[in-house]
Amino acid sequence: MKIKAQVCMVMNLDKCIGCHTCSITCKNVWTNRPGAEYMYFNNVETKPGIGYPKNWEDQERWKGGWELDGGDLVLKTGSKLGRILKLFYHPEQPEMDDYYEPWTYDYETLITSPRKKHQPVARPRSLITQQRMEIKWGPNWNDDLAGGDDVRQDINLKKIGEKITLEFHDIFMKYLPRNCNHCLNPACVAACPSGAIYKREEDGVVLVNQDICRGWRHCVPACPYKKVYYNWKTNKAEKCTFCFPRLENGLPTVCTDTCVGRIRYMGILLYDMNAVLDAAKTDDPKMIYAQMLGLIKDPNDPEVIKSARKEGVSEAVLEAAKVSPVYQLIKGWNLALPLHPEFRTLPMVWYIPPLSPIAKTFEDKVYLPKSEAMRIPLAYLAELFTAGNTDIIMQTLQRLLDMRTVMRRKEVGEAPPQGLEFDAYEYEKMYKLLAIAKYSDRIKLPAGLQGKTHEQLRELQGTAGYACPGGFC
Amino acid sequence: MSGFFWGALPYIAFTTLIVGTAYRYWTGERGWTTKSSEFLAKDSLKVAGPMFHLGLAMALGGHIIGILIPKAITDGVGISEHLYHIIALGGGIPAGILFLGGFFMLMRRRFDNPRMKVNTSTSDGWIYLVLGLTIITGFCGTLLNAVGLLGDEFNYRECISPWFRSVLAMSPDVSLMADVPLIFKCHLLLAMLTMIMFPFTRLVHCLSFPFEYFMRASIVYRRKV
Repeated sequence: MKIKAQVCMVMNLDKCIGCHTCSITCKNVWTNRPGAEYMYFNNVETKPGIGYPKNWEDQERWKGGWELDGGDLVLKTGSKLGRILKLFYHPEQPEMDDYYEPWTYDYETLITSPRKKHQPVARPRSLITQQRMEIKWGPNWNDDLAGGDDVRQDINLKKIGEKITLEFHDIFMKYLPRNCNHCLNPACVAACPSGAIYKREEDGVVLVNQDICRGWRHCVPACPYKKVYYNWKTNKAEKCTFCFPRLENGLPTVCTDTCVGRIRYMGILLYDMNAVLDAAKTDDPKMIYAQMLGLIKDPNDPEVIKSARKEGVSEAVLEAAKVSPVYQLIKGWNLALPLHPEFRTLPMVWYIPPLSPIAKTFEDKVYLPKSEAMRIPLAYLAELFTAGNTDIIMQTLQRLLDMRTVMRRKEVGEAPPQGLEFDAYEYEKMYKLLAIAKYSDRIKLPAGLQGKTHEQLRELQGTAGYACPGGFC
Repeated sequence: MSGFFWGALPYIAFTTLIVGTAYRYWTGERGWTTKSSEFLAKDSLKVAGPMFHLGLAMALGGHIIGILIPKAITDGVGISEHLYHIIALGGGIPAGILFLGGFFMLMRRRFDNPRMKVNTSTSDGWIYLVLGLTIITGFCGTLLNAVGLLGDEFNYRECISPWFRSVLAMSPDVSLMADVPLIFKCHLLLAMLTMIMFPFTRLVHCLSFPFEYFMRASIVYRRKV
């Protein structure tokens, strides 16, 4: 056992309203500069939908993530030598049109236009060529199922053979906010010929060293989530940093901090570094989730604490791990699931699958339908979160439903139903964390690598920060 | 003047290449990149990129054989002048076609696509000019020589190659260059200019071969420094 700490995030999709506040605040902080305009370190997709970049989940096309080759774990994008030979043209590299061509509008014409018969219009202008352009695609073109035919191209739908007719009585959708998963077995790190990308030992954050990066771009196709981006101006790779300057000061990421729906949870997980490779090599993709749970160790176990101390995990981090809301959601109640575990990168951003607002067939006179009668097909959620294992999805959704039933009974003064998995007290705790979701309950981060307490940091407010807003200086 | 061109300039070029590259590495590593433009224009790179670089590798190999291996050695192992030229042209002409063809395709791609403007700096313009002329003079010189238009007496293996080796041996024999045709003189001067420009342009990318990558473990862990 070799215990390391990982900063981890959980998103409660049941509460995501798809408002894009996370994307916008992230963009304003991190990617609001030339070369990075097209990047969204955090974006929100409507599912079903092909997402951003187009069809990122289709690994037959992009060759992202890992695969098993006779029991060995290899990058799907090819061997080291094979990829070096793609030096002068790399077929699996996404190009700008796979994301979208960034644009602005000629706002000035609204002010400078002479008096005319018709009102002046601010026409779109490309941020790449600086020429007038026609907008053909954007970062969330499929928002709320817009662009019907594109929605049908969703590979998860194809895999489950779901006939999506897009007729109103059958329609379903959900939101999926995505940022870098800061994986335990990151494919981008393994693919980088220059050794520029690394996983930080202290908190597991995956970062790109801008000095060492040589612009090979092998990280871009290798990441199955397409969360490493190529800056066309600096010609280097960039990615979500998990807002590490904030983490180091005990603050959550910007997306977490600004989340309107309060869906994001952040905390520490302790995991066994020695078992990572074996978990990633699990034969049956449906079992990867269970293996991931096995990696995550009990923060109150004395053996675990002892090993963590030996590996130099600080006391502040160990304390935070004991009260970690993400541990509770992932391992305590098994509510949170990894996104596409079959990519074998062991992602560390987890998702609580959503209950659907309206049941598909809701005829029984019950307060809530069974999990399998929900409007979003279980198989669809299973494609996203469990490599197709619907049992896990059913269990998770049932626990969320049970929680609602317990709280409903309490509200109307009835006794809780019999035969539930947990006792009523546990469901109330669940309710408090998921429904009330206080900032201080959702976010339990250690005071930070810099060893400052929250109080000390508060005194520093306004005295430190980004010296170069927008990266110009 | 020939003393400067063939006795001093080679050393200026080599020194600039080595010292300049080291300087660039130590002071501006953040700017050290391939400056790949595949992201901006992918389709037009598919043939042109590999074609140009393959031609370059072949041409480089030919130069190394032609310049570094003295004529006496090939004569010694029984390769006649006639046979040598057949081998040299057999490799050289395809290399030249790939190299020059790829070059023109890349040039068209760079200056014809409005998106490529954001990836094209002034130094890139200079590279295209100098490198282009270097390739053209070299290719044309070889062709003219092959059809005998540069005179029967001229054999680069008896003048340019020994001169280059004398430069490497630190005792440049300028007199060897006296009767070299103008087109080859231009080729050499342009090649030296390319070397001088090398450290300050995107050309440095060719030094970034990832040798360590083949030794290291897949996942890199680092502590915050």
